[in-house]
Amino acid sequence: MIAKKVLLVGNFGVGKTSLIRRFVLNEFSEDYISTIGVRVSKKVVEYNNDSIKLMIWDVAGTNGNEKIPKTYFLGAHAAMFVFDLSREETYLTIEENLNMVKDLSGLKEITIVGNKKDLLTAEELNNVLNVVSVDVDLVTSAKENDNVESAFMKLTAQTLK
Amino acid sequence: MKKATVDNTKDDRFELLRELLLEEDRGRIDTLSEEIILKEKFSKRVSPLIDEKILDLRENFPEYFGSTITETIKAQIRDSQDEVVEALYPIMGKMVKKFIVAEITKLSDKINQTIKEKFSITQIIKRFIKGKSNDAGVVLEEVFEPIIEEVFVIEKDSGILSGSYSRGNIADKDMVSGMLTAIKAFAEDAFQKEGQNLEDIKFETFQLSIQNFKSIYIAVACSGVLNVDFEEEIYEKINNLAEIILRDRSYLSNEERMSQIILQELILEKEE
Repeated sequence: MIAKKVLLVGNFGVGKTSLIRRFVLNEFSEDYISTIGVRVSKKVVEYNNDSIKLMIWDVAGTNGNEKIPKTYFLGAHAAMFVFDLSREETYLTIEENLNMVKDLSGLKEITIVGNKKDLLTAEELNNVLNVVSVDVDLVTSAKENDNVESAFMKLTAQTLK
Repeated sequence: MKKATVDNTKDDRFELLRELLLEEDRGRIDTLSEEIILKEKFSKRVSPLIDEKILDLRENFPEYFGSTITETIKAQIRDSQDEVVEALYPIMGKMVKKFIVAEITKLSDKINQTIKEKFSITQIIKRFIKGKSNDAGVVLEEVFEPIIEEVFVIEKDSGILSGSYSRGNIADKDMVSGMLTAIKAFAEDAFQKEGQNLEDIKFETFQLSIQNFKSIYIAVACSGVLNVDFEEEIYEKINNLAEIILRDRSYLSNEERMSQIILQELILEKEE
């Protein structure tokens, strides 16, 4: 079985852990993320008739000022940047944050996901998507399990590119 | 002989007097009788129901009251910890003492047996010729024999497990490899010693030794007393294993094959 390391990055409280909790069954205690700034979860997915083992690294924080070992980003095959559609501060510096993740991981593409769709009306959602300076790949709601599977499938596809 | 005259009037008067005097008591007796009869009737009707209920309670007691009793006991223990400790202490103490005595007896027997075997003239001469371990080392080595419990071959950057060996059951090995890589990265980063690597992690009866190579690292968890000879032997074997893997990178993408080579290089040879 092919194993791939994928990163989940984004500001504190954007719902990365909730997305993972929706998607995977096996996970370590959440204490790890507050202790060493990362937590590893695993999920085996079926993609194009292949079984792929995703090792999901839920990394706390995204900007260079945070005291996270840079080595957490090394060796990643794909990354998902998650922001909170209902909190402007989580996407205001999105380009800068994406560049930082690209620099550290060496990845050229990153899947961009806006989470907490359930907190916005259709009109508000459109307004946010217009404001965000980069193309958003998917909007999700971990709470309502909306588009979560699709987001991870897109991430899986990215690992195979 | 003249017959005695029956004095009905006298009898009637006596009866009348009795009725007058005992009227109230008779009323009470009647009420009591009625109550007793009623109770008996009620008892006959209720008894089977009570018996049925008692039987039901006996059979389903845990279901009806289990959680309440558990909660009550929990609350009681929480509120009276000192009393609970005082009550349990003598019992626990005896149990612990018994366990320790049994374990020490086993240990002492093993040490005696080892001394008997290892300190024969022939063995002493053999050791002297080989120039190996001191006497205490020999005993410790025998009693607390070092055992390889787990081996992980892990890709250095991604933390992806390439192959492993495990004596027992441990948590998901992929996740352990990922978290071990993260902890290693965290420790190396926290002390900001560039070019230096985390090499040992000790926890209770286990020692995790890590050997770093260019693109992989090998983590070996051992139990028992790790003497210098054992550590040197393992170090050398890990280096040999790494050399085999790094010369033929196809091992890294074939977990089964990798696990086979780990078994062959580190475990089987050791057991032989």
